[in-house]
Amino acid sequence: MTGQPLGPSTLPHNDNVNPYSYNIALDGTWFLRKGAMIAYYGQMRFEALSSVGSLTGMVARQFSSPMYTREWVVATGQGSLMVADRGHDVNSLDLEDGNLTVRASNLLAFTPDLQLKQSIVPGFLTLIGTGTFLASSNGPVVFAEPPLRVDPQALVGWADCPSPSHHFDAGWMSDFLGAAQGLLGRQSGEERQFDFTGAGTVLLQSSELVVEDPALLQQITEQTGMLGTGQLQSLVTTLQARLQGAQQ
Amino acid sequence: MPGFALVNHKVVSVPVAPGREVLAKRGAMLAYSGDVRFRPVSGPRPGLGGLVGRALSGEAAPLMVADGSGQVSYGYAGLAVHLVHLDGTGSLSVESDRLLCHDAGLQTAVVFLGQQGGVRGAVRGAVTGQGLFTTQVSGVGDVAVLAHGGVLELPVGGRPVVVDPQAYVGHVGAVQVDVSASVGWRDAVGRGSGEAVQLRLSGSGSVLVQASEERF
Amino acid sequence: MFRRQGSKVLVVDLSGQTVKALAGSMVAYEGDVTFKKGAMGGGEGLRGALKRKATGESLDLMDMTGSGTVYLAHRATEVEVVDLRGETLRVESSALLAVAPGLRTAVEFSGLRGASSGQGLFTTTVSGDGQVAVLSDGPPLVLEVTPQTPLVVDPDAYVCAKGQLQQSFVTDVSWRDAVGAGGGEAYSLRFEGSGVVYVQPAER
Repeated sequence: MTGQPLGPSTLPHNDNVNPYSYNIALDGTWFLRKGAMIAYYGQMRFEALSSVGSLTGMVARQFSSPMYTREWVVATGQGSLMVADRGHDVNSLDLEDGNLTVRASNLLAFTPDLQLKQSIVPGFLTLIGTGTFLASSNGPVVFAEPPLRVDPQALVGWADCPSPSHHFDAGWMSDFLGAAQGLLGRQSGEERQFDFTGAGTVLLQSSELVVEDPALLQQITEQTGMLGTGQLQSLVTTLQARLQGAQQ
Repeated sequence: MPGFALVNHKVVSVPVAPGREVLAKRGAMLAYSGDVRFRPVSGPRPGLGGLVGRALSGEAAPLMVADGSGQVSYGYAGLAVHLVHLDGTGSLSVESDRLLCHDAGLQTAVVFLGQQGGVRGAVRGAVTGQGLFTTQVSGVGDVAVLAHGGVLELPVGGRPVVVDPQAYVGHVGAVQVDVSASVGWRDAVGRGSGEAVQLRLSGSGSVLVQASEERF
Repeated sequence: MFRRQGSKVLVVDLSGQTVKALAGSMVAYEGDVTFKKGAMGGGEGLRGALKRKATGESLDLMDMTGSGTVYLAHRATEVEVVDLRGETLRVESSALLAVAPGLRTAVEFSGLRGASSGQGLFTTTVSGDGQVAVLSDGPPLVLEVTPQTPLVVDPDAYVCAKGQLQQSFVTDVSWRDAVGAGGGEAYSLRFEGSGVVYVQPAER
């Protein structure tokens, strides 16, 4: 048995209930990703960012990530708001006049004193300021320090250090140059990593099939505007090959 | 020299040094520090029933060898990681695609667990789905295996233990494995079609069973 | 009779009795045990079976009989053992792992709902004295409901409930915003009265 039942007065306030769920003692406003809430006590409202009315100014100021507005709501009211994400670990992290970049699909909630911006790295969001946010991870988050190279799928986020650059394993590079082989079909291995340098912290999880992030697709689609006709044709060929590979 | 260490139940941290290379499932590297190189290599050679070949046995999944010196974190698709230390006295049999990583100094061979041994048994097994190809790992060193959910280690000895092939992860020690079909078994393991088989383990050692009846 | 090994495996010790369990959930066993797909959820008779057929609330249970030890698990989800002492447990049929002998299972009409969804209109009930093992994707939150503190739950995260509870379906614009238009349910479950509700930290 899981011990005594918990209620509004016995649930931990602004803390994890167990590793996989967190109780927000709501007294005011939080930004919340749609679907993250599993249950609540008390009086609260969940409003789409576009229809928040009196809060519009605050939302426009703090939520500076237009591609993600449809994925998020504002929770307002008083009560106990319990959040979880696919049974993954839920981590609460405090920022003090800092910045942290996190995979968009791992970010669950944050206090409105933090500012949210889209990272230069597609699929990632940056939180800036002083406040609290909740992020999920597949297995407990592993904190590591640069210098470090990371499989992109295992990356949850990073704080304080510069944004990563791509690293290609020397062996793979020589193979690639020597055989002039397409990268395609050889991309399941460890030939490409994110390279972190400088002082800071990198957050890792056990790799997983990355959740489909509609905003990421939009970001990449917009970037194809920079390609010429020949390049687009080549991209189509690449995508078709990948699609075939994925369907096998 | 420190061995494999679990960072948490889904991630293992492994030291790599000259003379101590590590073989791992491709795509399982999460992160590394230090000067480590990764090269693709082919998987273990089939021992018993060598003619069957890797293609048929499903052993085609290529491995990566890590050499140099540094520390590598491995994990795969959020699956639970279970560590087995081999001290040279016994061997571990593990379903081949559950092998996350292991010391490259360990010996591996593909073995068919089936009703009939040998090539014919293996071919028939591969066709009918009766039986499993396992990798037998022996020597001295560490092995990390993957499971959906946690791993339950059941002692084998005295009365036999019967296991759902979908939930079977591997076994350690002098354990005999019989594959057979059984009446009423399909109700227990819930397979939709085909001849449902069971693994009956006897001898002395232990069997690793995952907390899920679904393969990953 | 039921105990857990770790949090994801249910161990059932049999000495001659019959235990109902989710068909296909056996991962290992020792001893002399036979498995047979149960014709009915049991206890509710023909009328219950007809209702089950009509409602689509299906219980895919098997009978395990004999003497020995059976290990049950399902998709690496957590197993929770609930003790019933003359109470009734309302449980999503997909969350039922095993039912001790002597308990009755049935299907119950659980109220009108606001939106069209295959889930929630009917619920499985287990009543009597004994142990019930339920499945939860991640360790469940066990939440208390009192007359002063009603609880609202995402139906996709709801596992089971016991006690004197009134359950209603709530649909409002605010809820639809919270769960999103695409996935998720367009209604929420509101519990009032006195009792306990189990909620899993994941959406189905």
